[in-house]
Amino acid sequence: MTLFRRLLLVEWSGLAVAILLGALALSVIAPNFLTEFNLYVMLRSLSVGLLVAFAQMVTLGVGQMNIAVGALGGLTAIIFGATIELYGFPLLLAIPLALAIGALGGLINGLLTARTGVNAFIITLATASAFTGINFGITGSIPFYKMPASLVAFGDHHLGAMPYLLVAPLIVAFLLGLFFSRAAPGRELLAFGGNPQAAELSGISRERVVVSAHVLSGLLAAAAAVLAVAQLGSAQPTIGADWLLLSFAAPIIGGAALTGGHISVLGTLFAVLLLGLIQNGMVLAKVDPYWVQFVLGALILAAVGLNRWRAVNSGVA
Amino acid sequence: MTDEAMSEMSARRRFGLGGVPAQFGLAIIIAAFWAVFAWRAPGFLSPFNLFSVGRALAVDIVIGFAQMAALATGGMNLSVGSIGVCAVMTGGYLMQTLALPVPVAILGALGLGAALGWLNGFVIARSGVSAFIITLASANLYSGAMLILTKAVPLNSLPMEVGAFGKMKIAGLVSPLLVIALAVGLVLFVFYRHSVLGRQILAAGANARAAKMSGVPVDRVITISHALSGLLAATAGMMVVAHLGAAMPAVGGEDWLLPSFLGPVLGGTPLSGGAVAVAGTMLGALLVTTIRSGLLVLQIGNYWLQLYLGVILLLAVLVDRYRALYQERRGIPMR
Repeated sequence: MTLFRRLLLVEWSGLAVAILLGALALSVIAPNFLTEFNLYVMLRSLSVGLLVAFAQMVTLGVGQMNIAVGALGGLTAIIFGATIELYGFPLLLAIPLALAIGALGGLINGLLTARTGVNAFIITLATASAFTGINFGITGSIPFYKMPASLVAFGDHHLGAMPYLLVAPLIVAFLLGLFFSRAAPGRELLAFGGNPQAAELSGISRERVVVSAHVLSGLLAAAAAVLAVAQLGSAQPTIGADWLLLSFAAPIIGGAALTGGHISVLGTLFAVLLLGLIQNGMVLAKVDPYWVQFVLGALILAAVGLNRWRAVNSGVA
Repeated sequence: MTDEAMSEMSARRRFGLGGVPAQFGLAIIIAAFWAVFAWRAPGFLSPFNLFSVGRALAVDIVIGFAQMAALATGGMNLSVGSIGVCAVMTGGYLMQTLALPVPVAILGALGLGAALGWLNGFVIARSGVSAFIITLASANLYSGAMLILTKAVPLNSLPMEVGAFGKMKIAGLVSPLLVIALAVGLVLFVFYRHSVLGRQILAAGANARAAKMSGVPVDRVITISHALSGLLAATAGMMVVAHLGAAMPAVGGEDWLLPSFLGPVLGGTPLSGGAVAVAGTMLGALLVTTIRSGLLVLQIGNYWLQLYLGVILLLAVLVDRYRALYQERRGIPMR
């Protein structure tokens, strides 16, 4: 195996190069890029996106998808806001409750998918609509503004260019990496995603795997929602409305197979970083914000093409 | 071929396309909703409301058809709304800015829709990547390109006859848009049931490998299906232009995603491909339009609408699933 081929096998190698080149180019073109404040703003905006991407990555791992990531995030965010503003819950109670609601939503998705055997796409499309309906029905699309100062401070503070917000997703990334590479349940998820029949024959329970992937996905969506509330300083019903594309873009650019069984935590992390860099670059270059959507779409296509090319060239497929 | 397979074939032939028996329950549910809305909201059966229900229904039906055309191959089209809005803005541009005759502008918009759909199909067939991810990406490419080109500025001064067509009433009650939607349905019904191409599409959707071995050009058939999906999405877009009397960059997009799946799935079109329910899709769209309009007339507000639509989609999927299981257990062939 040549060095080139071995590098091809490491999903995030291309991404790392792209990030380095991008950062280098930006620091030359835009003098503002390397300022502490700009880096802080960029990293802060990544924090929520990382958790969103992980939330989708987990379901992609078992060969399914979760269209309801954003809807569940939105619902969790406003319930989180409501428990604080209306019922005066302390954060130590409100945060676990929010996470539990996310997990519950994931449990509903998982049970419906596993028990009926219906495509997860259509199940989560339906539950996404239901979650959004409950969200807007409860709030009438009015946000909760009175968030505790400590939460808002957590969303704002930073050590140098490093926002406090980013700590949570980095810890999650580390744990997910351990989970999928070392822990038996994590390996079972991927084994099932790679080949459901073989996994079932070797004694892995289909229902347990599917349900746990969706619960984990819901949990991560809820964590993203809590971070989003901290970042915005208010619980907006529209939180999560624009998560869908990013949630798929990052894991896929990071090298996840849509067919399941293969994901990359580090790849996803780098993909979110690259997307953040591109967005930041476009802001610095004062490009029309409408280009963002276009570029994201083009990047997904490019990543899918690259993944196939790599699979063919490295002789894996 | 064994007798069992034969009987399954004939059962499919009898119920697969029109799918009347499978949709009987749906019709009853719709009737029940109409009864409740007519009873609770007196304005529901007023000629004005019936007209606007019919006009909204026309758009919902065609959006459903656009998704159905992609589902027939076992794929899907997440860019239905994006192609729709691209057609809307192109139509508006051709009519207002270039001042082309309205029919020419409509043809141009429909052509663009078909071309964008064709591009989806081409990439899907060539790359072998799932339709989900390709159309998710292209949805953003198309919408992004539309926003870049139009700067999200609506086109408000279209020729008068466009808006007039949207307000036109046949026999004081029926929108011509609904007539068009029904005509499209009839054409699709004949297409999928009697034309060679239509049969080839369903064969490729049911079992791509078997179809390929029997000489069906599977890649071409998938590409054509997506072009058809784009054409139908553009048709729905032009209907919205007639309805609003303007070309708005905010129509379509993600707002069409759920309705596009609701119609065909409620109507009994399987996500796995190989069969379409044309009449069922119309009924599914009717249920969606009925609920939306009923909640509006009852002034329950749009906020809860999504919850009801989501729950109904779930129930429909579950009922369908358990009916299939029940029939399997009883030894009755599915559908």
